Amino acid sequence: MDETVAEFIKRTILKIPMNELTTILKAWDFLSENQLQTVNFRQRKESVVQHLIHLCEEKRASLSDAALLDIIYMQFHQHQKVWDVFQMNKGPGEDVDLFDMKQFKNSFKKILQRALKNVTVSFRETEENAVWIRIAWGTQYTKPNQYKPTYVVYYSQTPYAFMSSSMLRRNTPLLGQALTVASKHHQIVKMDLRSRYLDSLKAIVFKQYNQTFETHNSTTPLQERSLGLDINMDSRIIHENIVEKERVQRITQETFGDYPQPQLEFAQYKLETKFKSGLNGSILAEREEPLRCLIKFSSPHLLEALKSLAPAALFCRIQKLLCYSGSHIQGTQDLSSWQKDLYLLFVPLYPRC
Amino acid sequence: MAGILAPGLGVLAHLERLETQVSRSRKQSEELQSVQAQEGALGTKIHKLRRLRDELRAAVRHRRASVKACIANVEPNQTVEINEQEALEEKLGNVKAILQAYHFTGLSGKLTSRGVCVCINTAFEGNLLDSYFVDLVIQKPLRIHHHSVPVFIPLEEIAAKYLQTNIQHFLFSLCEYLNAYSGRKYQADRLQSDFAALLTGPLQRNPLCNLLSFTYKLDPGGQSFPFCARLLYKDLTATLPTDVTVTCQGVEALSTSWEEQRASHETLFCTKPLHQVFASFARKGEKLDMSLVS
Repeated sequence: MDETVAEFIKRTILKIPMNELTTILKAWDFLSENQLQTVNFRQRKESVVQHLIHLCEEKRASLSDAALLDIIYMQFHQHQKVWDVFQMNKGPGEDVDLFDMKQFKNSFKKILQRALKNVTVSFRETEENAVWIRIAWGTQYTKPNQYKPTYVVYYSQTPYAFMSSSMLRRNTPLLGQALTVASKHHQIVKMDLRSRYLDSLKAIVFKQYNQTFETHNSTTPLQERSLGLDINMDSRIIHENIVEKERVQRITQETFGDYPQPQLEFAQYKLETKFKSGLNGSILAEREEPLRCLIKFSSPHLLEALKSLAPAALFCRIQKLLCYSGSHIQGTQDLSSWQKDLYLLFVPLYPRC
Repeated sequence: MAGILAPGLGVLAHLERLETQVSRSRKQSEELQSVQAQEGALGTKIHKLRRLRDELRAAVRHRRASVKACIANVEPNQTVEINEQEALEEKLGNVKAILQAYHFTGLSGKLTSRGVCVCINTAFEGNLLDSYFVDLVIQKPLRIHHHSVPVFIPLEEIAAKYLQTNIQHFLFSLCEYLNAYSGRKYQADRLQSDFAALLTGPLQRNPLCNLLSFTYKLDPGGQSFPFCARLLYKDLTATLPTDVTVTCQGVEALSTSWEEQRASHETLFCTKPLHQVFASFARKGEKLDMSLVS
């Protein structure tokens, strides 16, 4: 076994916390049951690691085995990276997507290897129709750096891929091209969504954040279910205020639902707004050019923060989430409807007639 | 001399004394009389009150008795009400059951506060498979609030084509795609679970189950060469493949019998659902075994 491979495996195993070690090793499935049983996991970590390296040497672990272990570690520690979202488009009138995993892997690897002689590409398929790709980058003259890889999670037969933010930005276009061509798409665009939480990005992009639906089977109608928001009802609040607070609660519950919100940290929208003028006319409405602006949101948990705006009496803003009629705005991008909702939340902040 | 005056005084004093005595006794007797009169009056009052008390007691007893009689009359009415309530509950239960049974039609829905939640129940060959929901908001423009359709189904394409102009077409088209996907998935799952013995390697599949690739042997453990099959389903609304290629692994030129088998397999895969084809393979295998035994 190569010294660099041994060092790489050693460093990877050292990163793994002791309580996860057996799970990850089992998922790796490189060392056999018998071999694992010979290891005393109660020793000090250094001794355990040494024993494991010795076993790996016996089995002649290769670079691809080591890379696979690294992918598994990353799958267990997804939140250590910041993930960007990329969306691909097919050309108009293209054939049905007959995705073939083998073809995809071969094509992807070939494109990268043709461009850069030195690159390590590894794949690991998951249960949810996703493939994790790990790329370690080198140059024409240097070997790939195994300690600064880029990870891509691609959901086959969808236009979406998630990429870990990498310091080596110069490789991103090549990576995008490889992904696009191998998956038989036309072009790739970076979306304005970024988060440490892959699950949350998935929930937003695949619109799977709310999986409760009303059916005739459900025994409790939605209105009677206890609402997630915990508003302290002051006994001195008179009737009219109670009615208003209940209305806020109901609309917030309809908008955000009972489920935990996807953990979004950063969202950014580019807008072009043309304003309609009322009787008085307005400076903004008289412009030929639309008003261009950029709105950025950031928060440790953006959607929960917005949800908590309701009891903070910014109710009229929340109401705009549901208001689609009367929208005179044209976006520059094709915003998904959920993103459109978020956008319309803040439109009333701008003067409108 | 003093005795002559004194007796006069004495007599007057005596008379005075007698007078006061009389008036005192008169007063006393008057007092006594008034007390007696008072006593008499109180006595009559007591009698009156006692009479009143007895009358009231009698009245209360009478009322209680009559109320009891009333309740006794009312109870049969209450049981009638309970029967009506049971009947209504039964009716409600029936209606709920009918609404739930709509699921078997494949397409059902429930009105929500903002629109309708459509439920698409997929089925294949009489087996009820997965359900998918689309929650629609009834506004101009009509829009999808949220849904449980898998990401690889082209929901947005179908919505772009039909949602605003012809909602029926939208729902039926979506039903077609989902039922076909469920059917293909069912066939692939059945192949993996029921006929693993005939497969010589893992089944390669993709999320839409529209490209399946596998190797199989008619006689597992036997000497024959395995076949390689590649099934393409280019029509996403169909549960049968559009292109089938069957090859024989490791053999350059096939003998005529193998060639016939290969061609017949290709036709079988094109015309029959996957798991049924394998079921027929399994049956043929059993027949062969039986012939060897006899």
